[in-house]
Amino acid sequence: MILVPVTYKGGIYQHDEIIDLIEDLGGYIIQKHIIATEVVLQALVPKEDIELIQRIGKPLTGELTPSPLVGTEIAVVSMSLEIHHLPHASCDLAEYIRRFGAKTNMVGLARGFGKRIAQLNDEERDVINEHDLAVYLLGNFETCIEQKFGVLRRGIDIPIVVCGGPSRESLQEIIDPPVDGYVGNVGRFMHRTKESEELDKLEEVVGEITRVLDRRREDLAKDPLSISPARLMDIINEKVDAIHEVLSPTPITVQMAGLRVKLPYDQYARILKDLVIEEDVTIGDIVDIHPSRMRDYILLKVRPFSETNIMV
Amino acid sequence: MASIEYFEVECPEKTGGRYYQKIADVVLLDHNLIRVIQKIHFFIDPRVPIFVAVGITRKMPGPVRLRDFSDVSVQDDKVTISIGDETYLAKLLESLWDIFGKERVEQPDRFTVVITAGTDETKDLEDLVVDDPSLSIYKDLIYALQVIQPEGFKVRRQYYGDGRFYLVASEDTLPEDIDDLVREKFALLEESP
Repeated sequence: MILVPVTYKGGIYQHDEIIDLIEDLGGYIIQKHIIATEVVLQALVPKEDIELIQRIGKPLTGELTPSPLVGTEIAVVSMSLEIHHLPHASCDLAEYIRRFGAKTNMVGLARGFGKRIAQLNDEERDVINEHDLAVYLLGNFETCIEQKFGVLRRGIDIPIVVCGGPSRESLQEIIDPPVDGYVGNVGRFMHRTKESEELDKLEEVVGEITRVLDRRREDLAKDPLSISPARLMDIINEKVDAIHEVLSPTPITVQMAGLRVKLPYDQYARILKDLVIEEDVTIGDIVDIHPSRMRDYILLKVRPFSETNIMV
Repeated sequence: MASIEYFEVECPEKTGGRYYQKIADVVLLDHNLIRVIQKIHFFIDPRVPIFVAVGITRKMPGPVRLRDFSDVSVQDDKVTISIGDETYLAKLLESLWDIFGKERVEQPDRFTVVITAGTDETKDLEDLVVDDPSLSIYKDLIYALQVIQPEGFKVRRQYYGDGRFYLVASEDTLPEDIDDLVREKFALLEESP
């Protein structure tokens, strides 16, 4: 069964039916938002059942759109959280990526600004590395990007997409060793992105992220995970009651190869580790459990089939 | 609204310069400074790195007096002020409280202020200076320039006086010949028509 990431938008009336339907078909609800009288569901659904969901959703004014980034967590790395970079550029982009289903976290560097003085500390490095992909929002000058980028990428082992003022070709030329994606002409700006060509640029960023993540998905498919992160989320939701007390919008954030569970590590790591998935397979058998550098959350990394020899 | 007569961004990196032109335009517009500035020249060299902004301001609007935005009528020991423009109301009330004390200043409705005071005290009330925009312009101008400049440039020198202003900023210690550079850029402004 191939699961496809989609967003369902529809009226609040009888939306439970859609949720039940997706779950019965073997799909997973990743996130549910209720905005006034509208419900937005981000879900993974079986490819062959898309038409069925559309048909049942139609009388409920439901609409199903493909969202290539559902089930990914992306770090939008801003050089600082000063007025020079916020709210425009950083927030506009983070919000736009979110529309395609990704969970974005803004990482504002403490000392990312400047050419010579730019730095990345170990906490920032570790937090960025906990994501599926990092989007670096750099400035307008080639000279600065060339000098500082080396420092800002040190120790980062996830795919990087670089956005900057210079053209795509210039970025490719000055960044060495190359990164996974480049988007030119998106540097520092101080106005809201609302013109159509600016929106096209944001679209280009999303396109580049999708391309990079698709490649990563292909890599993952070569050595499949022992359990799908969405299913793991379902199991935790079902068996750990404390997760329903968490007030965060996504108590469990689904990543491409893992989960971020927003429960304190000290109290719950052991409980999660011993949780039974199926018969005698526990989470601890197929998942690495680490403390996250983000607050005291728990980070689960699913091990591939080649390591565990278990597939559930 | 009057626009800036001379507005240039000089930068060895063409693309970067173009972005900074847009940034400067947006920031000055957002901070309502377009009316204030007559000429402005930016020089940015990321290789050094250095940021220089020099400019000339227009003649500032004079102080705002009470009679500019309200009517004052005196009746025995009661002075009634009818406010025409609410913009200055908060500052006016503050000044009146300072002069007469809170217990003698009443505001029966949004646009009316009634003061109980003898005629001697309220003689020159209409000439009371409520606000002086030129005092805050300097702060606004320098703040806007700091928003425009690249963020890492923490070493700064700024000046304002006689209708001229400049701000130089860098990541490193400012070069010794910085005054010459500023003079050179001011000369460009003066040459321009």
